Amino acid sequence: MIGPIISSGIISPAWDNIFAVLLGMGFGFALESSGFSSSRKIIGTFFGYDFVVVKVFFTAAIVASIGLLYLSYFGLVDFSQLYIQPTFLTSAIVGGIIMGIGFAMGGFCPGTSLAAIGVGRIDGLVFFGGMFMGVFLFSESFSLFENMFYSGSQGAKMINEAFGISPELFTFFLVLAAVGMFFGAAWVQKKVKKVEY
Amino acid sequence: MKKIKNDGSFYVNPYLGGVMLGTVLLLSFYISGRGLGASGAVKNTVAATVNIVAPQHVEKSAYYCQFAGGDKEPMSNWLIYEVIGVLAGAFISGIIFNRLKFKVEHSPKITSRRRLIFALGGGVLFGFGTQLARGCTSGAALSGMAVLSFGGYITMIAIFGTAFVAAWVLRKNWI
Amino acid sequence: MERKYTILAVLLIILAFGLVILPKKKEQNEIDPKALLSSVVEKSRYLSVDLVTHRIIENDPTLLLIDLRPADQFKLFALPGAVNILPDSLLAATTLELMNQPGKDKVLLANSDLISEKAWLIATRSSVTRIYVMKGGMNEWFNTIIKEKPLNSAASSSDLDLVSFRNAARQFFVGASETANTPEKSKVKEKVQVIRKAPEASSGGGC
Repeated sequence: MIGPIISSGIISPAWDNIFAVLLGMGFGFALESSGFSSSRKIIGTFFGYDFVVVKVFFTAAIVASIGLLYLSYFGLVDFSQLYIQPTFLTSAIVGGIIMGIGFAMGGFCPGTSLAAIGVGRIDGLVFFGGMFMGVFLFSESFSLFENMFYSGSQGAKMINEAFGISPELFTFFLVLAAVGMFFGAAWVQKKVKKVEY
Repeated sequence: MKKIKNDGSFYVNPYLGGVMLGTVLLLSFYISGRGLGASGAVKNTVAATVNIVAPQHVEKSAYYCQFAGGDKEPMSNWLIYEVIGVLAGAFISGIIFNRLKFKVEHSPKITSRRRLIFALGGGVLFGFGTQLARGCTSGAALSGMAVLSFGGYITMIAIFGTAFVAAWVLRKNWI
Repeated sequence: MERKYTILAVLLIILAFGLVILPKKKEQNEIDPKALLSSVVEKSRYLSVDLVTHRIIENDPTLLLIDLRPADQFKLFALPGAVNILPDSLLAATTLELMNQPGKDKVLLANSDLISEKAWLIATRSSVTRIYVMKGGMNEWFNTIIKEKPLNSAASSSDLDLVSFRNAARQFFVGASETANTPEKSKVKEKVQVIRKAPEASSGGGC
């Protein structure tokens, strides 16, 4: 079965939304059970008392990257059919910065706020509600940002291309970097003043 | 080996959580050819709502018209279903680990009210940023990293880099 | 606790390293036989000598002529910009790289169509796209452009245009002396339709 199995027709597209729900459930479960329904646990990375964000995020990215590359190698996945979002450099950076501020203020991101809502956290709900306003604000003032929104287009560029190395080699270096970060995180966590959370 | 947080709640080992998340992400690509996401659902809901209230406005808007208006069905979208799943999955986890509780989680050094104000403000900013960057930490950063997308990595670095600085500025709220 | 994590970390690194040292699989994606059959039957792969000549004269940068004739014939005369590829090196890595360049229309030609057709089939099967055959090959080219094809008396105006074009092309390739009876429409400012690939569609833009 060559993935992606819906677009290659092995399973009919009617199943797409069903899988969406199932995958979402896996997503939500993984997030909540790791502790992402707690904003104070999430924000711990930035103060050194709980690096759960680093550990979960990078482990997930590595598992998925390695998995996809192996599957691609063995012909089980057609990498060219996977959605790689196009790079719009300016808006990617500016949007990321604004999100970073929002993250530090709210202690959530959309996915984690959903996990929080799922277990009854009102701050998660308020955060998510705020997002609607933010999206609305942007859409209404779009003409002000239209130029920035479309500038810096580089197509569906892959990060290994920026370094001129193969995807596999990049992933290898990423793994080394991540493992370094994990050990570093453990070290920092030992040294940091205990925080009641 | 239980890992006890201060309020007694059990969380799974983060690396295990990461493997779980990574596996779901991998399956998402394998099955649907796309990664996970969250902000897209918000965008589609906003576009659909505006379309109900003011369809001509949607048609004229260079932004909304990409997602709503005409015969587009923004609410019949993969992400909407995925988000429903996220809520359900989190709920199930909450049941299993006994974390279901209506509360406002905040540092003991600030009030609930302050926490909610910042949550709201944070959400507004985050929602705004999400449109500019065409994604959030799940869709652009995490899923982008899984397929080695350059834009995904850039957004991830921008988010976390900025958050480090901003969190320190706002530390009174947290520690 | 530390030990367990170290072992896991090492395993992860080995896994990633495995990716790096795996031998690179050769990307021989073959297209499905049914798809191949439909493109064979379609016949849209032919380009006329007139069209190819147009594009040569206009210096169309998307044109890539692949000449399959023996090297000595190629040395004797070749169309401007043509690349000489011998049929048995059609599937060589360098040839495939040449043919998989983005933004180029590859036109196969030989003396007649026999070899070009086979080459077209083989290339298309190896998933090369935008590849064509110049119908009639070099023989047809010579007969049409260089030698004059006689006009019959019932020539339409588009035929006359064609003859003027060919005369002009002949001058381009051979020199000013050769042209015989040019019909009245001697103004050779042809409105040449150069087929340029549209620039990569920029994303976005209003609806």
